[in-house]
Amino acid sequence: MSALRGEWAKFRSVRTTAFCLVLAAGMMVLFSALLAFGSTIDDPCPCNVDQAEFLHRPLAGDGTIVARVASQEATGPWAKAGIMMKESAEEGSPYAALMVTPGHGVHLQANFTTDIAGSSGPAPRWLKLTRAGATITGFESSDGTTWQQVGAVSLALPRMVRTGLFANSPTTKTRTIRHAGSTTTGPEYRTSTATFDRVGFEPAQPGSWTATTIGAPRAVDDTLVQGTATEAGGVFTVTGAGDVFRLVNGGDNDMLPQMLGGVLVALIALVPLGVVFITSEYARGTIRTTFTVSPRRGRVLAAKAVVLGAAAFAAGLVATVVSFYLTYPILHGNGYKAPSYPQPSLWTPLSLRAVLGTALVMAIVAVLSLGIGTLVRRTAAAVTVVIAVVVLPRIIGAFLPVPVELWINRITPLAGLSIQQTRDRFDYAIGPWPGLAVLCAWAAAALALAWWSLRRRDA
Amino acid sequence: MIRAARGEWTKLRTLVSTAWLLLALAAFTAGLSALGAWSLDGRGCTGPADCDPDLTRFSLIGVYAGQVAALVLGALAATAEYATGTIHPTLMANPRRPIVLAAKATVVTGLVLGAGLLGVLGSVLAGRFLLPGKGFTPAHGYPLLSLTDGLTLRAAAGTVLYLALIALFALGAGLALRDTATTLTTVLALLFVAPMVAPFLSDPAWQRHLAQVVPTAGLAVQTTKRLAELPIAPWAGLGVLAAWAAAALVAGTARFLLRDA
Repeated sequence: MSALRGEWAKFRSVRTTAFCLVLAAGMMVLFSALLAFGSTIDDPCPCNVDQAEFLHRPLAGDGTIVARVASQEATGPWAKAGIMMKESAEEGSPYAALMVTPGHGVHLQANFTTDIAGSSGPAPRWLKLTRAGATITGFESSDGTTWQQVGAVSLALPRMVRTGLFANSPTTKTRTIRHAGSTTTGPEYRTSTATFDRVGFEPAQPGSWTATTIGAPRAVDDTLVQGTATEAGGVFTVTGAGDVFRLVNGGDNDMLPQMLGGVLVALIALVPLGVVFITSEYARGTIRTTFTVSPRRGRVLAAKAVVLGAAAFAAGLVATVVSFYLTYPILHGNGYKAPSYPQPSLWTPLSLRAVLGTALVMAIVAVLSLGIGTLVRRTAAAVTVVIAVVVLPRIIGAFLPVPVELWINRITPLAGLSIQQTRDRFDYAIGPWPGLAVLCAWAAAALALAWWSLRRRDA
Repeated sequence: MIRAARGEWTKLRTLVSTAWLLLALAAFTAGLSALGAWSLDGRGCTGPADCDPDLTRFSLIGVYAGQVAALVLGALAATAEYATGTIHPTLMANPRRPIVLAAKATVVTGLVLGAGLLGVLGSVLAGRFLLPGKGFTPAHGYPLLSLTDGLTLRAAAGTVLYLALIALFALGAGLALRDTATTLTTVLALLFVAPMVAPFLSDPAWQRHLAQVVPTAGLAVQTTKRLAELPIAPWAGLGVLAAWAAAALVAGTARFLLRDA
């Protein structure tokens, strides 16, 4: 306890302390606000994603379509192949679709919102959609004779609709195009091919087949991914990419890392704070007095870590909370609006994790700096080492190939910033808690080495 | 002046950290550059029409690490004397402060130019020898990295100048702030703000504005491809850094000349 009080008194009285804490908090708020000013987004809605290769023909009034999905290329668990009734071949028009998926079995979906699960069987599978008035009913069968009802949806469609076969495949991978220094990352689309046979209509309808690529997905290199559909001897082959669903949250930008992005700059101010807390004692020789007063050096180090961590956490928490409330209105003015980007409440687990976690990252980086400062003992050298370990990898990573960059962001201390993530994005290197654990491991290793060095070396 | 410069040279030479920092400057620059060149993969490339990375720039990427050593050297040249109190005998021996200042700046610039030149030459050599193994061969339309190429020469020479300007910037900041930790924090923050923050700015106009005003704008001089897309022209970028260095030196000089040591 007395060691703690002593360290607190020293901490308070060092001139650099207040400077660094205020600088860190100020930088955090200032740069978070600046980032918010510079981040604009286009209105992400319309929120319905409607992408599929659709081979269709007209259907007047009530009727039934039957088809057997003979095979489906398993490009992902949610690749879809099935039959559909749709108001028109226009992107976004109302529809009811019955489909098989490689990973989730049979589903009946309608109008971007309704989703009814059927059996878990993949292709080959018989599917049947029946329209009677405003009700569309889906059936499935493994043999084409015994049918089970998947579900029924109520859907207002005009008398004339388009009905037929469709296939698509949601993106599961990303692709990054990198020029020196700047990158474009986006979804990589892969088409999935499905074959259908035993296609039939009841009652028989006049009209011919038309193939339409609905809402062709746009690849990273700005080309449109086109599907194909052919028929040969009663076997229909449909190839398509994309997905049909409602964007629940609009875009998938993660707002919290943007709202708290100033932390990157704040960390640069916390590094010297942690380093100087110990190196100034070596520079002035007061370390000998400190160790005379409390000879148990491990305890001195622990007391320093506690005082430093608590102070950095407190300053960090003030800065993160201020940033949290300050930046949303700015982002809102730049297009981050409900329903896609509603104002986040601080009192939700994800927001709390991001806000408290960011303050915690600031505290741990300060403690990591203390550990390295204890090892190296000289201010300039220690600051250089910490900056090289903490900050440089992330900057350099941005210029290296993407897999290398992802690994850098996984294993270097700033992996801890993943605690700010509130969404599950394809381009994230590491999850929130594992990332924080990586940072903690760095700090623990630095402290352990520092403790060992304190015991072994003269002061 | 010669005597003052010799004195500064003796002081810097006898600091253990100077040799280490100069070594680090050259080694980090060349080492990280080699890593940068090594990490490129062009084996799937059929030619510059297919993929056209700025090989020169990748081969000089080590400057990001080397500049840390350069700025610590510059900062220490100023702050170490305040930390140990030797600034008093320095000024007693040579009371003409502008001369002391000029001598410090000259010695720091000379040392960093020398170490920077070694680091940059090492980087270019690493690129020259590593890149063909990564698929960037002359047969595929990627000429070997060579200083006889005007743009590459500009990039290499500009990188050496960049390092020297960074050291002068830190020297000025050190004279103005006098405290090692404070100086390093301020300079590092200014240097790393742009690359750290830019990915979060989704508005390209803001990214450009940021890249135009920060000290790292000086790295535009490394570019040899797609020059039209640069936020700031190569020499103009180096000019921005020179302006930062000049501002820091003016502030440092003012404090050095007008205030007690």
